[in-house]
Amino acid sequence: MNCEEYRETIAADPSFDGGAGHLSQCAACQAYRSEMLVLDQTIGRALALDVPELHVPELVDLPELAAAESAESSTSTTDNIVALPKRRLSSPAWFAMAATVVAATLLGVRMLGTGIQHDSLAEEILAHLDHEQISLRVTDVAVTDARLSSVVPSDIARMDHSAGLITYAQSCQINGRDVPHLVIQGEHGPVTILLMPYETVSDPQSVQGDSINGVILPVGKGSIAIFGEREERLDRIQEKVLQSVTWST
Amino acid sequence: MQSSNTAAERRQRFDEYVGVYHQDMYRYAAWLSRDKSIAEDVVQEALLRAWKSLDALREKSSAKQWLLTIVRRENARYFERKRLETVDIDNLSASQAALLAEQPDEELDDMRLAIYELDDDYREPLVLQVLMGFSTKEIAEQMGLKQGAVLTRLHRARTKLKDQMARQ
Repeated sequence: MNCEEYRETIAADPSFDGGAGHLSQCAACQAYRSEMLVLDQTIGRALALDVPELHVPELVDLPELAAAESAESSTSTTDNIVALPKRRLSSPAWFAMAATVVAATLLGVRMLGTGIQHDSLAEEILAHLDHEQISLRVTDVAVTDARLSSVVPSDIARMDHSAGLITYAQSCQINGRDVPHLVIQGEHGPVTILLMPYETVSDPQSVQGDSINGVILPVGKGSIAIFGEREERLDRIQEKVLQSVTWST
Repeated sequence: MQSSNTAAERRQRFDEYVGVYHQDMYRYAAWLSRDKSIAEDVVQEALLRAWKSLDALREKSSAKQWLLTIVRRENARYFERKRLETVDIDNLSASQAALLAEQPDEELDDMRLAIYELDDDYREPLVLQVLMGFSTKEIAEQMGLKQGAVLTRLHRARTKLKDQMARQ
């Protein structure tokens, strides 16, 4: 470990206790470490704000709560906004199996024979994402061009890498039709992109849940769905995605 | 009878977590929002949400991270609702200024101002590390980042603060 590496490590974490060999031979790094430890003490004292007296809000008993949430989820749909039931799981596990069961119940999924029919395209997409949690990994490993080309065939669209770091590409099915399922790395976690040449929507549709933020955009004769974390700025990603995709249909 | 016992146990469990972690929740909210009044609102909402989903918390040892995650989301929701604009340091509201004017210690005041002026991306991991005692791995999980990105942000945050304090 040299001076630069040691100092970078110490500045990121002054409690780092490795690099003893280097430290014992470098007076300058010893001084730097001492300086950082003093700085951190000041930072800690500055951050420790006085805390006002706690006022715990009135807590509703569970049965009343369930009724209130049920009423809320049944009345909160507005034009072009699909208000999803509460989804409590945090990233990267929003699409855990338990949520699938809860979502299926609350979203009014209809079991018909051996298949499942969903009430809306948004619900179909969410059910698919629940199913394919493995796609939602935080990683910096991009898929290859060959992989991207095989998943996004030229008769559907052409897509370059300008939308962001594409870390997952898989051909999946939405409403029984093959759809390229891609994931890019957003600022707040993985962002899912579905290129759906056969799914028509007349206007952009916003999909909002407790931990999910999504949009389904009409593009050509089909649509593109973009779903990310609640905090993700989808408008920025949306613009890049639309620029990176040349629709063939 | 059994039902009321269960409800009482649930409330007791909730009160226990709130008692232990309320200060952390408030300070995290205050440094995320940079506004004491907003922090109080965010914590109130976070407590309601925590109460609603308390049964989702299986491990007592995860309670702190779980509560801070709720605070983080409530803060994001608050700003999404209010669509607050970038704060001009020369034109602070009373509750924003209150965050910076707590003590007569000049060094602390300078440091607090320097932290206040850090970008959100740098301030948040610093708060989680220094104040909450999170490891870089835990910070990465909390913020949905890679560990390397967290280390870079922490390094830059401290370098900026060191430079800023040297200029004072």
